[in-house]
Amino acid sequence: MENLGWGLQMTVLGMGLVFALLALLWGLLTLVLKFDPAPAEPVSPQAATREAEHIAAKAGAAVGAQVPLVPTVNGMDADLVAAITVAVLTHKAVRRGEAAPAMRSYWPGSLLYASRWVASGRARQNRSWHRGR
Amino acid sequence: MSETGTSQQLQALRELRRRAVLGGGEKRIEQQHARGKLTARERLALLLDEGSFQELGALATHNVADFGLEQQRFPGDGIVTGFGKISGRRVAVFAQDFTVLGGSFSEVQSRKICRIQELALESGIPLIGLNDSGGARIQEGVRSLAAYGEVFVRNVMASGLIPQISVILGPCAGGAVYSPALMDFIVMAGGSSMFLTGPDVIEAVTGEKVSGQELGGPPVHMARSGVAHLEAATEAAALQLVKHLLGYLPQNNNEDPPQITPYDLADRMEPALDSLIPASENEPYDMRDAIDLIFDRGSLLEIHPDYAPNAVVGFARLDGYSVGIVANQPAYMAGALDIDASDKISRFIRTCDAYNVPVITFIDCPGFLPGTDQEYRGVIRHGAKIIYAYCEATVPKISIVTRKAMGGAYVAMSSKQMRTDLAFAWPTGQIAVMGAEPAVRVLYRDEVKNAADPAAKERELIAYYREKFFNPYRAADVGQIDEVIEPRETRPRLIRALEVLRTKVQQNPPKKHGLIPS
Repeated sequence: MENLGWGLQMTVLGMGLVFALLALLWGLLTLVLKFDPAPAEPVSPQAATREAEHIAAKAGAAVGAQVPLVPTVNGMDADLVAAITVAVLTHKAVRRGEAAPAMRSYWPGSLLYASRWVASGRARQNRSWHRGR
Repeated sequence: MSETGTSQQLQALRELRRRAVLGGGEKRIEQQHARGKLTARERLALLLDEGSFQELGALATHNVADFGLEQQRFPGDGIVTGFGKISGRRVAVFAQDFTVLGGSFSEVQSRKICRIQELALESGIPLIGLNDSGGARIQEGVRSLAAYGEVFVRNVMASGLIPQISVILGPCAGGAVYSPALMDFIVMAGGSSMFLTGPDVIEAVTGEKVSGQELGGPPVHMARSGVAHLEAATEAAALQLVKHLLGYLPQNNNEDPPQITPYDLADRMEPALDSLIPASENEPYDMRDAIDLIFDRGSLLEIHPDYAPNAVVGFARLDGYSVGIVANQPAYMAGALDIDASDKISRFIRTCDAYNVPVITFIDCPGFLPGTDQEYRGVIRHGAKIIYAYCEATVPKISIVTRKAMGGAYVAMSSKQMRTDLAFAWPTGQIAVMGAEPAVRVLYRDEVKNAADPAAKERELIAYYREKFFNPYRAADVGQIDEVIEPRETRPRLIRALEVLRTKVQQNPPKKHGLIPS
C-alpha cells in the first residue's frame, strides 16, 4: 500500500507538471494574439496577382537601376557620336569624289604649270592638226 | 537722270527679272513639281556651288508672231544659261526650262547656248547641259532646225578641248538628241527619255506600239544602245553624279585632272590578289574585285556599267591621281571582246587621251567573240577601233595581263606594239596565239592522227603546249612583257610607274585628222 501511495503521488506530480506547462503555453499564445489582434483576411486571386505585379515592377526598377548608364563621348550620347562620324565620313567621301578644294593637292587642280616640259609638249600635241596656225 | 527715273527703271528691271525667275509661271512650276521634277533653276541650285551662278541672257525673248506665239513671250525663252562653280571649279551651264512652252528648242535658245559654248571654249572650262525639252519649237519652223545646227557645230568644235557633259532630266527627242550625243558624257535621270522618233510616229509609220520609256528610257540607253554613260534614279542623284564625274576630268585638254590628297597607302600590298585568279583556267572571276583592291579605296566610277558587261571601263584614282581603267571582264562571256565591248573600250580610251588621263589596261581575254552574227555586223571594223584608239593615244599607257591574252585580242588590248609604255603580267598570265586544244589540232594534226592512242597523244601535246606557252615568261623573254610581277604588288608598281610617266609627252604626226574605223 505504501508503494501504491508513492506511485499515485508521482503520477499526480508528473501529470500536473505537464498540464502546468500546457497552461503556460496557452497563456503565452494568448498573450501573442493579444499583441497582434488583426485577423488574416482572405485574399482574392486578382488581388494576389496585382500584388505580385507590383512587387515585380519594384524589383524590375531595382534591377534597371543596376544597368550601367548609356556610354558617352565627351558628354554626348555615343550612338549620336557614331551617327555623326558616319555622316562626316560619307560627306568626306562625297567631297573626295568631287575632288573638292579641301581634298585637292594642287590649286587650281593642275600640275601643268610646274613642268615646262609638259606645257610645251601639250602645246605641240595640240598643234598637230593646226599646221597653218 | 533723276533719282525717280532711275528708280522706275530699276523697278522695271526687277519686274523683268522676277518674271524670268518664274519661267513659265507659278502654275507651270507647280505642274512641274507635281510630275516629281525640278525647275531649271532648282536644278542649277543643286548642281552649282551656293551663290556661284551668274546668269546671262535672262531677258532674251523670241520675236515670233505666228501661231499666237506673240502672246507667249517669257524672259529667258525657256532656257537658263550662265557660269557657275562646281567644287570651286568654273563651269559653263545651260538648263532647259520645261515650264516655258515645254522647253521647246527655239532660235533664242540656240543663241543663248551658242554664246555659252563659245565663252566656255574661250575660257577653257567644262560645259554642262541640263536637257528637258519636248523638241524643236514647231511654230518657228526651219529657224528652230537651223538653231540645232548652230549648237551641233559648236559641240563638235569643243569636242576634246573642254569636257562636255549632258544631263537628260526629261524628254529629249528628235534632233535635240544629237547635241548630247556629240558631247562627251550623257547622264540620264530616272523617268527621262531620248529618242529620234517618238512612239506616236513609230506607230504611225511601222505600226509598232512602244512606250516612251521602252523606246528610250534610261535602262534602254544604259544597257542596250550604249547611248547613255551613267544613270541615276533621281534628278538630284544625277546632278551629284555629274559633280563626281567632273572630279576625274580636267578643265580642258591642256590641263591635268585634279589630284586629291592621297588617302590610301601608296605601298599597300594586297595578298588577296594572289588568290584572285581561280586554279581552273576556265573558271570566271570578277575583274572589279581586282580593281577595287588595287586602286584607291572606293574611287572607281564605272562608265557604261550595264552596256557590254564583258568589258569594264571607268575612272578611278591611284595615289590621288585620276586614271582611266580598261579591263576585260572574265565573269561575263569569259571576257571575250565583241562589237559593243570594242565600241565601249575605244570610245573610253579616246576620252582619256583627250583629257590627259592615263590608261591602265587589265587583260584577261580569250579573243574576239566568234560567230557569224559578229562577223556580219562588222566585228572587224569595231575591233579595229580599239587598236586605233590605243595607237593614237599619247597619254601614259600601262597594261597588266592577269590571265588570258590570246591572239588578236592580245595585240589589240594594249600590247607593247600599241605604244604601251609599260607592260606587266601576273605569273598567272597566259600569252599565246590561241588556246591549247585548237593549237594542238592545227600544229600536230598528223602526229595525233597517226599515234597508237590519238586521245592520249593529244592530251600529252596539249600539256606540252600549255607548259610552253601558258605563262608570261616567253613573252617576257622577247620583251613583250616588261616585268612579271606578283599580283599583291600591283598597286605600288602602278603608282611608281605613273610617277615616272606623269610628264610623258608624245606627238603624233601632223595631220588634219585620222580616219578611225566606224
